[in-house]
Amino acid sequence: MKLKRQGDAREFEVELLAQNRQNDTDAGAPRAIRITIDGREVAATVAPMPDGSAIVELGGRRVRVAGARLRSSIVVAAGPLAAEFVVVEGRTAHRAGGLAAPEVDAPMPGKVLKVLVSEGQPVEHGDPLIVLEAMKMETTLYAESPAIVAKICVEAGQMVDHGARLIELSPVATPARPREPPPQDD
Amino acid sequence: MKRRPLNKLLVANRGEIALRIIRSARLLGIATVAVYSEADADAAHVAAADQARLIGPPEASESYLNIAAIIEAARATDADAIHPGYGFLSERPEFARAVGEAGMVFVGPPAEVMAALGDKVAARRLAADAGVPVVPGLETVDDRTAEQFAARVGFPLMVKAAAGGGGRGMRLVEAQAGLAEALAAASREAKAAFGDGRVFLEKYLAHPRHIEVQILADQHGVVVALGERDCSIQRRHQKIIEESPAPGLDDSLRGRMVEAALKVARVAGYRNAGTMEFLVDGGEFYFLEANTRLQVEHPVTEMRYGCDLVAEQLRVAMGERVSEPAAPRGVAIECRIYAEDAEHNFRPATGDALYLNLPAGPGVRIDTHLVTGARVTAFYDGLLGKLICWGADREQARGRMVAALGEFSLLGVTNTAAFLREVIASEAFGDARLSTRFLEEFFPRWSPDGEALECLLVAAAIAAGGGLGAAQSASSRGALSGGSATGHGRRSPWGELTGFEPWGRGER
Repeated sequence: MKLKRQGDAREFEVELLAQNRQNDTDAGAPRAIRITIDGREVAATVAPMPDGSAIVELGGRRVRVAGARLRSSIVVAAGPLAAEFVVVEGRTAHRAGGLAAPEVDAPMPGKVLKVLVSEGQPVEHGDPLIVLEAMKMETTLYAESPAIVAKICVEAGQMVDHGARLIELSPVATPARPREPPPQDD
Repeated sequence: MKRRPLNKLLVANRGEIALRIIRSARLLGIATVAVYSEADADAAHVAAADQARLIGPPEASESYLNIAAIIEAARATDADAIHPGYGFLSERPEFARAVGEAGMVFVGPPAEVMAALGDKVAARRLAADAGVPVVPGLETVDDRTAEQFAARVGFPLMVKAAAGGGGRGMRLVEAQAGLAEALAAASREAKAAFGDGRVFLEKYLAHPRHIEVQILADQHGVVVALGERDCSIQRRHQKIIEESPAPGLDDSLRGRMVEAALKVARVAGYRNAGTMEFLVDGGEFYFLEANTRLQVEHPVTEMRYGCDLVAEQLRVAMGERVSEPAAPRGVAIECRIYAEDAEHNFRPATGDALYLNLPAGPGVRIDTHLVTGARVTAFYDGLLGKLICWGADREQARGRMVAALGEFSLLGVTNTAAFLREVIASEAFGDARLSTRFLEEFFPRWSPDGEALECLLVAAAIAAGGGLGAAQSASSRGALSGGSATGHGRRSPWGELTGFEPWGRGER
């Protein structure tokens, strides 16, 4: 399984290989688990706690962790560190025609303050596309490469969720170097 | 001088500060009324108050900023006073006025004092006229005067909203090219946040410390200062770590600042709790602005002085005299934990609190509205809670803070606790190399270390794999298991378990 944090380009390949319990009736007993992180095997013990968390012992350190799978992401906490991962399953990293990102998604939940472009409009790298407001702070999203605005999916005043599609871009009409489609992963 | 006992207080706010105010009111025997928006029906402050009234839809402009709805809620519940907390309507003179006109007591300064001081431009003038130094600035701004001012004092400049606060409507301008756009953007943001688009310009000091003085004043003419707070560590011009006393601050400079703060308060005819903010740069200090309300970081002062500032506010509102502050003891530090991603430019985060572990211990205080199941939305400020640690000296307070942040754990909402822990533990903070540029200087980019990330990934692998051992016995609710998402998309840690079942299941 490949995991990725929102806004972070890195992907992590994580697999839960095995978990062993001495005693099936004692759910609170520590169990040994084996996990691969980017192909490297990590052994840890996990002791479930009655409050729903678990104590992970890893490389001589003990850390309280908790996690849950939500509809479209996995949230985890390890001590004071909390994060949200999305599962990158079979999603190709294909980038149409050399576009840095063929779509612009909301990096946070908030309100669409202004749409600065219109459909069919060519944009240059660095052009402002849309202004969001979250918690009273304005955030402007910019074009990451030259493109044509193919579709505007939202309008000013609209509330959007984290990850909502805002704008779709299409490549400018210069012939792009043909590319091998990247391998599909699941 | 009238004395007027209060029977019932309406708290026109939400989150941790609403809880904080309800606590002090209760200690004084004053009944409390909470107000809430449709997004906050389940919020902690609603449960904590003696009564609660729905005041509108989730958007703050329709609820917590809706003066008519709040006054109506106060009338309907027979409240005789309104406490505005911080943010929202706390610095709106028209709100203070409306409360007075409705025959109720506003817990704060009189509307005209608030108007004079709350307007940053007017406050600058008032301070300057009182002989208190102010940062070189331009108060009436258009594109042409701005250009002339820039030519005179040089870049960088700071654009600020006259009605601003909390870092909103502020823009740093490094060069001429960005000036007009910054003025326009700050004005737009200010208009949206405060309903007043006026902006002014100030010279941007390179390495200032932000130090403020807590003031208490009553209607009998007593004005006292309760020491200072250093609030230099900020992101987006908004404080995230505060401490008292300001480490390494020269005693004579401290004395002069306290005198200046008292002077501004007296000249303005201040009443109730307030804060005079200063920038300190190379042995000089400049009046920055007055905050005519309770501050987010007030607990830092409370811990050192052993006082209850909200209770003092309520006593002043009842016409009582401010008590002479006790001698301060030790050091207090506050960390604000925000629903933000510190790794990605403090981007706001939202979510549901699925698992929560709050710290405790000697000298540890936490002011928070977080409970398991609490929902953090994009409608309001992302402050999740404030962790305040007291110590006999700075090192003890700092050690307690590092430990307390280490105990804090919140699943479901990306937050700044781990980042704050590293900042507090850092050598730069230990050495108190404080300036408003602290974070750009010492933490320009932050990400968790490899070991911490590994623990996160272990947890993620377990959660993604459906929890720990799907075949656990039914009697062990505490075990980790997978399960399906509920209708709200909420989920307990690992799945079904946890104590997030209001009445339990009768077994144990």
